[in-house]
Amino acid sequence: MSAKYFTARGLPVPAELGPAWRTSWRRWTAIAATLAVLAVGVRITDIDTSRANPEYAAQIVFGQLFRPDWNALFSMEDVESVWDTGLGLMVVTIMLAVVATAASIVLALPFSFLGARNIMSGHPVSLAVYSAVRLLFTIIRSIDILIVGIIGVILFSIGNAAGVFAIGFHNVGVLGKLYSEAIENIDQGPIEAVTATGANRLQVIWTAVLPQIVTPFIALTIYRLDANVRFAPILGFVGAGGIGLVLFQNLQLLRYPQAGAIILAIVITVAAMDFFSAQIRKRLL
Amino acid sequence: MPPLLSLEHIVKVYPGGTRALDDVSLQVERGEFVVLIGLSGSGKSTLLRCINRLVEPTSGRVVFDRTDVTAARGAELRRIRRRMGMIFQQFNLVRRSSVLHNALAGRLGYQPLWRTLAGRPSRVDLELAFANLERVGILGKAFSRADALSGGQQQRVGIARALMQRPDLMLADEPVASLDPATSHSVMRYLEEINHADGITVICSLHFLSLARRYGTRVVALKGGRVAYDGPPAGIDDGRFREIYGEDAVEVEIGPGQDAPLLAKVPTGAEASAAEHLIDIPDR
Ligand SMILES: Nc1ncnc2c1ncn2[C@@H]1O[C@H](COP(=O)(O)OP(=O)(O)OP(=O)(O)O)[C@@H](O)[C@H]1O
Ligand SMILES: [Mg+2]
Repeated sequence: MSAKYFTARGLPVPAELGPAWRTSWRRWTAIAATLAVLAVGVRITDIDTSRANPEYAAQIVFGQLFRPDWNALFSMEDVESVWDTGLGLMVVTIMLAVVATAASIVLALPFSFLGARNIMSGHPVSLAVYSAVRLLFTIIRSIDILIVGIIGVILFSIGNAAGVFAIGFHNVGVLGKLYSEAIENIDQGPIEAVTATGANRLQVIWTAVLPQIVTPFIALTIYRLDANVRFAPILGFVGAGGIGLVLFQNLQLLRYPQAGAIILAIVITVAAMDFFSAQIRKRLL
Repeated sequence: MPPLLSLEHIVKVYPGGTRALDDVSLQVERGEFVVLIGLSGSGKSTLLRCINRLVEPTSGRVVFDRTDVTAARGAELRRIRRRMGMIFQQFNLVRRSSVLHNALAGRLGYQPLWRTLAGRPSRVDLELAFANLERVGILGKAFSRADALSGGQQQRVGIARALMQRPDLMLADEPVASLDPATSHSVMRYLEEINHADGITVICSLHFLSLARRYGTRVVALKGGRVAYDGPPAGIDDGRFREIYGEDAVEVEIGPGQDAPLLAKVPTGAEASAAEHLIDIPDR
């Protein structure tokens, strides 16, 4: 092989050009390990399709779920205000995500500077703060949002407060990390130059850091808002408020036409959100 | 009169163990135009940054106009820094901010914090910014975003920002390395002018020896973090040149408008047989 090029010149042969078995040995081990994991997985999950009932499923899906009962969205019967109708609850759910996102920004924003290495380096104490903040972000992020929702329901009882708490808490960790990384990714040159003029740390941040992070921060926030609106309906399944609560009840009571209407409302909302957030972010960047 | 700047036995060891500066001592008098030369990695940037403490020297002392820079902390260090302007190879402008805002940044060391936070420079500072932008011929671009400017224009904004400090010393780290030869000369002439007209002392690192000969009143060469030559530009003959840049270096004269590197290292022996067509240029 091309290893000859090196041996002919008395140069050491790079490992990449060495005997083929050395690289293929690794490749086969990786393939074997992957197959082994899959085999064990299929065995212990005991996937059982024998009880599937396609006719019943088709009848429910096409006969009931896809024949939405629009009253579930618009009917004012048995409700106290428009916000308790299906459509009203959809709006409430969106607002729940908006309020929670805003709350998480308030906390994530100042902490993200403490969690940015380039801002905090240079002093052992500030570096320790940096590590602590980033660890905190990681811990907060690693608690699944549904689990925070369950804790929220225990704390505030069933309702929107639990949902705001869940999304807000989780997003402090997510936005904090994203903001911190955005700060770390900025051009260091202006920071150096403005420091050299004799400016103090706050002046440096104000003059050299802020102008660089406004756009990425807005883009990241919209991206998270989008994700939160998408997730808010699901939170109702653990009792944390919004339209999901009603969807869950309808499913429990096997009221599929009503559930279908709500699901359609959620799908349309999420799709619209997705579209607009993509548009806005495209304009920004 | 004591020298404006005095470096005493400066050593810089980076974490990781690189000894970037190895006992550098240097005295710079008022009004000098000192050009720093040396191969890539010889410690030019490190030396310039030790002077205003963007890089913390491991040991040694920097004395600026009778003040011990190395001992200064907090507000005192910032007061010293505002008397030293600095310009950079990559210009280091805040790209999304206007040219005017970038120039005004040079005033931060003099400005009360509330003015920075409120974004309200004083009228005096504003007029000074216009005056300095006019001086470097870029007043017409005051309200353009910095990243809308060409490299040469951006470097002139960099000079204006540094001039806003009304500095006694100007540190320039390869200010023309990202510019074509013609633009390089125009930027170097601004440095020459502030040196002559304003009496600002200049320490400037350069890649091109021809530029060093043309603009410097004194050349300091670094090699492996030590001073290898310190004297008039004319004192760098062939022998000295090889000492500074290595045996294989060849000096290439370039004038304005020409686009060729100063140094072309021709690979020899073993290197040449492996890659005969390669021309390796030391210093990137
Ligand atoms: N932040 C750093 N951490 C570790 N080592 C560094 C750091 N900065 C520079 N060095 C090392 O110190 C030495 C001197 O670097 P310096 O940047 O001062 O050289 P230079 O003469 O400015 O080179 P160039 O012409 O390429 O700009 C080099 O070996 C470099 O790798
Ligand atoms: Mg350098």
